[in-house]
Amino acid sequence: MRQLKVALVLLIVGGLMTTAAFFMAFYTAEVQSFGTVTLSQQLDTAYPLTEAGAGGFTYGRPWFSQKIFYFHVPVALASFLVLIIAAYFAVRMLLTKRKEFDTKSRIAMETTLVYVMLTMLTGVLWTRASWGVWWDWEPRLTTYFILTLMVIAYFVLRNSIEDEERRAVYGAVFAIIAAINAPISFFITRIIPSNHPVVFKSGFATSNLIPFLTAMFGMLMLGFAIYVIRMSEERLRERLDAAKTALEG
Amino acid sequence: MEPTNIELYDLVLKDAPFIIAGYGVLWAALVVYISLVLRRILRLEREVKAVEDSVARRTGDAVS
Repeated sequence: MRQLKVALVLLIVGGLMTTAAFFMAFYTAEVQSFGTVTLSQQLDTAYPLTEAGAGGFTYGRPWFSQKIFYFHVPVALASFLVLIIAAYFAVRMLLTKRKEFDTKSRIAMETTLVYVMLTMLTGVLWTRASWGVWWDWEPRLTTYFILTLMVIAYFVLRNSIEDEERRAVYGAVFAIIAAINAPISFFITRIIPSNHPVVFKSGFATSNLIPFLTAMFGMLMLGFAIYVIRMSEERLRERLDAAKTALEG
Repeated sequence: MEPTNIELYDLVLKDAPFIIAGYGVLWAALVVYISLVLRRILRLEREVKAVEDSVARRTGDAVS
């Protein structure tokens, strides 16, 4: 129960941090520009005038859909991290054959699934707002889609195996294979030309970095809290099974 | 309306529904998921207590 209390504290702190990041994203973060827009009159605005010509006044086009970045990127990075943690427990399970590591790996994969789905949903909305389409088969989206399918397939695989030991071994191997996709998906935009923005490559204003880091740490805390809460649930389930066995015996 | 303002409002309003949906979906999903898990934990705690009490009673009966 002490772990559950720690998880609830993490949940509150993580929730507060991500909420603070949300407000910072709109109140203090610099609005980034995306191309230019030419307006007939000069504006009394924070957006810097880039050119004043015969056609009018040219400004950096405010890129409002970029605001999704402050949640989409932290949740995506957290999904990679939790997946790697799941693979770490899977390796330990294969080395020791202890059930405890199988449970930890499975719960980490479940947390990964939550974060992967959130990354996909926020990503699709950003793609529609920025690119005008709901989906594009470009390298980052394609590799992340494969990763999503693999995380879903992990649970399908587990549910299809009756024998507990075989299920744990097959699940562990599959979790490791799925985790190999995380660095591929992360680095693909740096290796293959892609429409997807590459974070940090083109520099970052401090006003944008602070909400991003706040959301990042908040999201990691929420992920850890989800993991601990689910582990507490699993332990309670084990306790219930043991008590039922004792009652029947 | 001022044409310059129309252009600017248009830029903001076109993106706004997607930004709102993005944040909304993320928050709603997290809140619903965590609430469901916490509810399950509370139910499990009640069940564990009931079964463990029964085990303790049975053990007590056997001893006496």
